[in-house]
Amino acid sequence: MTTTFESLSSGDAISGPTFAVSRESIRLFCDGSLDYNPLHLDDDYMKNDFGKTNFGGIIMHGMNNFGLITRMLTDWAYPAGAIHRRLETRWVKPVKPGDTIQPVGIIKAKQATQKSRWVLIDVLVKNQNDEKVATGEAMVEFPLS
Amino acid sequence: MPQAPSFETDFWKDANLRKVWDDIVPGEPRKTLPYQLTKEAIQLYCRSVGEDHPLYFDEAYAKKTPYGGLIAPPSIHILLMFACTPADDWMRTPGTVNAGQSWSYNIPARPGDTITLQARALDKFIKRERLFVVHDNVFFNQTGEVICSGRGQTIRPM
Repeated sequence: MTTTFESLSSGDAISGPTFAVSRESIRLFCDGSLDYNPLHLDDDYMKNDFGKTNFGGIIMHGMNNFGLITRMLTDWAYPAGAIHRRLETRWVKPVKPGDTIQPVGIIKAKQATQKSRWVLIDVLVKNQNDEKVATGEAMVEFPLS
Repeated sequence: MPQAPSFETDFWKDANLRKVWDDIVPGEPRKTLPYQLTKEAIQLYCRSVGEDHPLYFDEAYAKKTPYGGLIAPPSIHILLMFACTPADDWMRTPGTVNAGQSWSYNIPARPGDTITLQARALDKFIKRERLFVVHDNVFFNQTGEVICSGRGQTIRPM
């Protein structure tokens, strides 16, 4: 069934595919994003403490979560003729090689404005232990046709 | 057309040229570089996050949609942030930790676009012994249209 602004209700869920995180996936994200920060490349460097935190090895880019959430939102919005307009995220927990993560969204509210219609979505990324690794909010526009 | 020279992937090189937290002046524009976005760069980014929508890969499909041709996914600004900044930009300082981002999207970036960035630190502060910088970024295409705008926070290495 095609998603329409009218048919959406608060509490409706959307989800994206799972994503298997590996040293190779992290390296590919370095090449795709040009972000070669040693946090994501260099195990020796990651033996250091960062403030009070020791990650114990390389970690996935936080923005990889952002990319997965974006994919979930656009894959949901395009068939409905809707447009992904905003995404805000925070990182809750580091993601490491061997983790499997998945983005999820819950419709929070709908809002009509003078010229358009908007859907507000709570988003999160969870890992294989059902722990939140990232949280945020998104806004998708359903233009008046 | 000025292009980013071949990209230096060793972020330790030039590390001594980059501003530390103390040097960063909120409000001062960052040095940026125009960047020509290619289909290949878009598709490499897409593969790294599992994006497989035909709007990014299939020209014939994309032509028949309201977009009228291939586009980049909204999150392409992740790549553009590094593509549009020089090697001595402090976003590359090893140990820079991303503490959260918010982005607003206007129009899609497309293959062949020449993208420019206007960016600055907007604020800096210390919280729980950690050094934060607030970033303000706007990407434009070659006709001056806003592609997207975003605000982020990073924790600077001590």
